[in-house]
Amino acid sequence: MRSLRSPFGWLLRKEWRELVSSRAWWVMLLLIGPLVGVSFISAVRTYAELSGLNGTAAGVGEVFSPLVGIWAPTFSACELAAAFLLPFVAIRVVAADRHSGALKLELQRPMRAMTRVSAKAIVLMAGWLLASFAPLLGLALWRLYGGAIYPPEIGSVFTGHIVNAALAISLAAAASTLTDHPATAAIVTLSVTVGTWILSFVAAVHGGRWAQAAAFTPTAIVAEFQHGLVRLSVLLISALLILGGLSLAAIGTRLGAAPRKRLVESLALVAGLAAAIVCASFVPSTWDLSESRMNSFPRSDERLLTSIQQPLRIEAHLAPEDPRRHDLETQTVSKLRRIMRDFEISYVSATSIGLFEQTSGHYGELRYDLGGRTSVGRNATTDGVLESIYTLADVLPAAGDVTEDEEPAFRGHPLAVPPTGAAFMFYGAWPAAIAIAAMMSRRRGS
Amino acid sequence: MPTGQPDAIVRVSGLSKRYGRLIALADASFSVNIGEVLGVIGPNGSGKTTLFEILGGVLPADSGTVELSRDLPRPALFYLPDGITPWSDQSVSWALDFTIGFFGGRSELRREVIDRLALTPFLRSRLSTLSKGQRKRALLACGLLTPHPVLLADEPFDGLDLRQTREVTEYLKGVAAGGRTLLVSIHQISEAGRLCDRFVLLSGGRVRAEGAIPVAQLEEVFLALT
Repeated sequence: MRSLRSPFGWLLRKEWRELVSSRAWWVMLLLIGPLVGVSFISAVRTYAELSGLNGTAAGVGEVFSPLVGIWAPTFSACELAAAFLLPFVAIRVVAADRHSGALKLELQRPMRAMTRVSAKAIVLMAGWLLASFAPLLGLALWRLYGGAIYPPEIGSVFTGHIVNAALAISLAAAASTLTDHPATAAIVTLSVTVGTWILSFVAAVHGGRWAQAAAFTPTAIVAEFQHGLVRLSVLLISALLILGGLSLAAIGTRLGAAPRKRLVESLALVAGLAAAIVCASFVPSTWDLSESRMNSFPRSDERLLTSIQQPLRIEAHLAPEDPRRHDLETQTVSKLRRIMRDFEISYVSATSIGLFEQTSGHYGELRYDLGGRTSVGRNATTDGVLESIYTLADVLPAAGDVTEDEEPAFRGHPLAVPPTGAAFMFYGAWPAAIAIAAMMSRRRGS
Repeated sequence: MPTGQPDAIVRVSGLSKRYGRLIALADASFSVNIGEVLGVIGPNGSGKTTLFEILGGVLPADSGTVELSRDLPRPALFYLPDGITPWSDQSVSWALDFTIGFFGGRSELRREVIDRLALTPFLRSRLSTLSKGQRKRALLACGLLTPHPVLLADEPFDGLDLRQTREVTEYLKGVAAGGRTLLVSIHQISEAGRLCDRFVLLSGGRVRAEGAIPVAQLEEVFLALT
């Protein structure tokens, strides 16, 4: 740990003071409370109503997962803030040095460019963590209401938003140093964000390679973490993107280096990064941290599927916007990818919506190929797909294969309580506390 | 044109820089001697700031070399740009502390620099709230607190009134007498004459003359060569 009296320590202190004196950060802090509040209050109300509040009929117990019912929507406010507020804070912190002339002074202290950028990134992450107290406030309220908390789920959701914030910071840092003006940096950052949304849209329509690429957009990454699914490939690719963005920013801060040299270094970095990302995308390890194991098959099915050694290929004749394809992908294929080592699925369709392909005799077919043994079915449900695979592999599960000890069923955590006090905390106490802290900080700084 | 003196600690050879078609510096060569105040003078657009930025390492040159004496501790040069407002939301006092802490500056000079540059009344003020002259003095203080043996100051008197200019001139002469080498870019010829031991005349990006010029002849030389 470097001393705070070291040059790096001074840099950290400087960046922190710059962050605290920036109005953009205080505005983000101010807004994130009500943003989280809206999501949290709405989520708790819906959860309570489904749990039987006000005499409404209670839903099925299994659906009452706080992960999906409370934490995914509550933390989604952070996703909004990371996309539309945090980049401006980061641009303010990174670009200000260049425009004020501070960078010209600071560059004259020999120090690795990456170290300089890291100081900014560390401080920005610290600033984001303080903003993350808003959803943690929701966590405390939920606990007070008597709600169930499953720490691995919270850890997963929180990690997802930290990763998302780090991606936003690295992108904004790179844009700030590679463009001439903060406004241009903001446009570039937002363009990339919108670009990832377009990629997701294209992936939803065309599938295939587009879908593979879209699985690593910030939105998709957050969505996986919000469902308690942690993929090592996603973590590695996120880390590479974050390091890549900060490295690009570091190259951009070296004002004394010739532009051509910086361009060549940037291109080399991007090429190396692309190669590393492709390699990382093949890392198979995943963890399902959800209490309900929503990303996994029952353990008995997992045992059977892992016992199948032959390569499995499925050709699904379903259009990208066919709801059956969505269900197949989210309910079955995503789980098969986690459990089977040699598994590939390809989608075949002539149109994006499939509406006019219904008359085709093959539309809706699922063609299975397990080590050369083939079959064709039309049942795209999880049970239908598993049954087809087991039939081909001759590993039909025995009745009563699962015992209570092996796999206790997830019964859910219904909670029929109103979000008492949440409105006061998020719409009153939070903004007031932030406003007071901002004023005190301003006075102390003057 | 005398270049390459035996006690030169910085030798600039053939520095060139273009911005597209505009030639900012063309084959600029000169040397800086230990403990002197070298004035770089020239009309607007003559390449003074470009030269300083290259020497400060914040702008790449297209060609040429800057050779530093082996006896100089590294880093040797500190460039103080003109017209900047770094750390604008921080106080003057904090900026001085940061300079000392971050650059490994001379804390023992802090009091003296504050007094000689009359910074006491606005030590707690934010840099962004200062007038042009106050900000210039505050940044000059930062430059003087750095440990680098050669200080490059771009327009150190810009924004200062007559009295302040005289006081700062005397202080800078004292700093140079104390062994620190100063390289200053000045467009006020009279002030340059009071402060500098030698001059480099720049015009159109080229070094037109280098050497000691009597103060009385400085304006004529300047007008004749630029």
